[in-house]
Amino acid sequence: MDGAARSSAAAPCLELRGLAKRFGATRALAGVDLRIEAGEVVALLGENGSGKSTLVKVLAGYHAPEPGGELRVSGRPVALPVPLDAYREIGLSFVFQDLGLAPGLSVVENLFVGRRVHGAGRRPIRWRSERRAARAIFERYGVRLDPEAAVGELRPTAQALLAIVRAAEELREFRAGAAEGGVLVLDEPTVFLPEEEKVFLFDLVRRVAADGAGVLFVSHDMGAVREIAHRAVVLRDGQKVGDVAMADTSDAELVQLVSGHRLGAEAVAALVGQRSPEGANDPRQAPEAAPSAPQLAPGAPGPQLAPGAPGPRLAPGAPGPRRAHAPAGRGEPVGEGEVALEVSRLAGGRLRDVSLRLHAGEILGVAGLLGSGSEDLPYALFGALPGASGHVRCGRFSGEVSELDPRSAQRIGIALVPGDRKGQGIAPELSVAVNMLSLVLERFVRHGALSHRAIRRTAEERAETYDIRPRQPGLPMSALSGGNQQKVVLARWLELAPRVLLAHEPTQGVDVATRAQVHAFMRARCRQGAAILWVSTDFDELASVCDRILVCAGGEIAGAVSGPPFTRDRITSEVYTAAARGRADREEVKV
Amino acid sequence: MTVDVEGAAPAAPPGAPPSRNGEPGRSWFARHGRLLESAMLPLAFVALVIGFGIHSPTHFLTLRNFSNIFGSQAVLFVLTIALLVPLTNGDLDLSVGSLSGLVSMIVAVLNVNDGIAIGWCIVIGLAVGLFCGAVNGLIVVRFNVNPFIITLGTGTVFSGIQEWLSKEQTIVGVSANLSNWTYNKQLLSIPVEFWYGIVIMLIAWYVLTFTPFGQRALFVGQSREVARLSGFNVPRMRLQGFLIAGFVAAISGVLFVGTTGSASPGTGTDLLLPAYAAAFLSLTTIQPGRFNAVGAGLSVYFLATGVSGLELLGAQDYVQSLFYGVVLVIAVVVSRLVGRRVDRGWR
Repeated sequence: MDGAARSSAAAPCLELRGLAKRFGATRALAGVDLRIEAGEVVALLGENGSGKSTLVKVLAGYHAPEPGGELRVSGRPVALPVPLDAYREIGLSFVFQDLGLAPGLSVVENLFVGRRVHGAGRRPIRWRSERRAARAIFERYGVRLDPEAAVGELRPTAQALLAIVRAAEELREFRAGAAEGGVLVLDEPTVFLPEEEKVFLFDLVRRVAADGAGVLFVSHDMGAVREIAHRAVVLRDGQKVGDVAMADTSDAELVQLVSGHRLGAEAVAALVGQRSPEGANDPRQAPEAAPSAPQLAPGAPGPQLAPGAPGPRLAPGAPGPRRAHAPAGRGEPVGEGEVALEVSRLAGGRLRDVSLRLHAGEILGVAGLLGSGSEDLPYALFGALPGASGHVRCGRFSGEVSELDPRSAQRIGIALVPGDRKGQGIAPELSVAVNMLSLVLERFVRHGALSHRAIRRTAEERAETYDIRPRQPGLPMSALSGGNQQKVVLARWLELAPRVLLAHEPTQGVDVATRAQVHAFMRARCRQGAAILWVSTDFDELASVCDRILVCAGGEIAGAVSGPPFTRDRITSEVYTAAARGRADREEVKV
Repeated sequence: MTVDVEGAAPAAPPGAPPSRNGEPGRSWFARHGRLLESAMLPLAFVALVIGFGIHSPTHFLTLRNFSNIFGSQAVLFVLTIALLVPLTNGDLDLSVGSLSGLVSMIVAVLNVNDGIAIGWCIVIGLAVGLFCGAVNGLIVVRFNVNPFIITLGTGTVFSGIQEWLSKEQTIVGVSANLSNWTYNKQLLSIPVEFWYGIVIMLIAWYVLTFTPFGQRALFVGQSREVARLSGFNVPRMRLQGFLIAGFVAAISGVLFVGTTGSASPGTGTDLLLPAYAAAFLSLTTIQPGRFNAVGAGLSVYFLATGVSGLELLGAQDYVQSLFYGVVLVIAVVVSRLVGRRVDRGWR
């Protein structure tokens, strides 16, 4: 044993040594060591593409690491690669980023996947007692889930809770079998969770740790990490660049570790949840966009297609137009741009009655908890939500939203950056170039045939403009990291030079540097006269990026947040107040 | 012959500084891996020809033998092309084989029994192909049902109609004009129907690779939801895929009548498996990972040459089934490996 410095007598729950992994020529992990003591919560931090997900996938047996690495779980050596689906037996349990649930199966079937309460071996499964056991488990964890419901019909929050409870329960079972240690691995667990459920998650994590298991908490959510972790391990480019006790490390230091000095003040402020009003519009937050602008200008098919073009306007000291109308009144834009989009009495999905106006040149934020209806708003406006009703005016179009479909919406100048990148945003096996330019293919027809050379050339330019790495548009989309994929999605829709951009969680699961870039690209578009509707549950982000913020609750616009400047705390309190008010109203109606 | 469609070949211009991601030391193999991959099947084809050629130069390596292979397999060639658009759309059309058989029977019956001029018979046959494709497509799109099941059903119906029309007799004596213009007339010592197939293949290649329609179809096949949100008219594109499949399958039926001068009950369905074998084999070559027309054409003749060679070696008829079946399985597995080299992908 090498437990030299550690006081704990027990073997660490998890010990990884020299873990390396290559994908072709790309080094995803370069000899990473990781140690989790019993009862310890370790946060794994790093930007997209830093190797976090790869590490988790190696632990789950999804990837085979390069030879030479070592893994011990609770002191017992485990041969690498971890045999597929054997992680339960060795004491690892996972909440995967995509949750790993089968949508077509019921809650109870998902809960007990891979094991049975009764009917072990060849005896038939007794579904009634399985359901009873499931109910008992949910009761113990304090979650309300119907064991017979189909998982695909649950809300994302409920699905996340199910995955979390399942992982915790599997770990408990493992430990009940008189085994020591065990590790709960949570990969971005807070993405699907609204604030109130995060509290539940933190309680659960604390309980698991108090029982003597280890927890690996992989997250971009710095607030959550600060709240729950004892120690943070930071990866950058596949290498461990930091292993620090949370108590001894300031937020700024953590940010430096994660980002490697690439950030401006705004991103730091957004990250640590304290907005510094002066830093908010700091032009330095667009380090990549500005220098690339001059190269782009000559080749761009039209001025409105070059989001990097206004880069020079971001130069330090230049008063951005946004700054010009900064002292906005309550909820009303001061820029007085013309109305780009006007909606009245929009209903459908979870929306009940939404009316709003979106002005050219502004970023209008819509803040709401999951289930508030805000998540349906972009799709309803894009004509992609079946059964939506209401009146829309945009450009020359004025009519019912039911007359719109994604195609006609594009034609009148609306674009949508969807929230679910994997399911709605990209075709993973097709090339970056085709993904990026598939909405404007007609532009590349030369003499009756698509010019793949022209497509590639344009894609290369865009990769430069949007800092998409690697600069190889011929690669399949799946070869890119999440942040780069998201930039492709953004580029794809901005290519339409939309009058109105509907953005749903446009930086979800994206690292801080990319996030700052996305913000810069969006702002640049706004300056060129586009209007952006930004729907998000990330209030930090809304606070730093929006000109105006509306609060959505119970399928209606419940009010506006005063500002700018906005703060995350004020948005949070408005949103929760509105949600509570709405609930009370509805209960009254029932009475 | 390789078509650099996606530009997966090194994107950086020569002399460009090494990419920022730090991958300067890419080996020769890594850089040319995809090229090698594309060349695998053509190389195997050449090896096959050389192998059989060495073994029986007097029979195998003759112009007659190749002329025979190229001409007789034109029906399968065209039928394979019929599958490509639906497959790119992510739809399996299992009815094309029986549709081809049905059209051949309609052409023969109308010409022989009813004495209708062969030109009109062909027009009617092609119209029937379009109609049947429309039936498939409309059912699939309107009711949003799995095309696998639907075309299995409609294909069986087409076969039933074929037998009914034939009164379980082989219809012989179809106008010699058709045979002349398909099988007997030769260009470069190969029956002209082969060249018809080449033309159809090139059209399919153009449509899939050089039109926005073909590129959108890739999205439809990969992710319907992405395609829908992108504003692509997914139902219409899928319907068009079935229409194209029906029409091209009908052409293969007409060629069948020309090749054999007759139509028999029960033909066509036996072509379904080899057509799928060739279509899936196309995933491994020319444009790896895509159903592609040139690769499909190459695959058809790779399969046909293999079977012909084996028969010259004295193999029995059943070897054809063995060969096609084994190749289909191998093609699907290899295409999977080509598409997902990411180590242990179990998703």
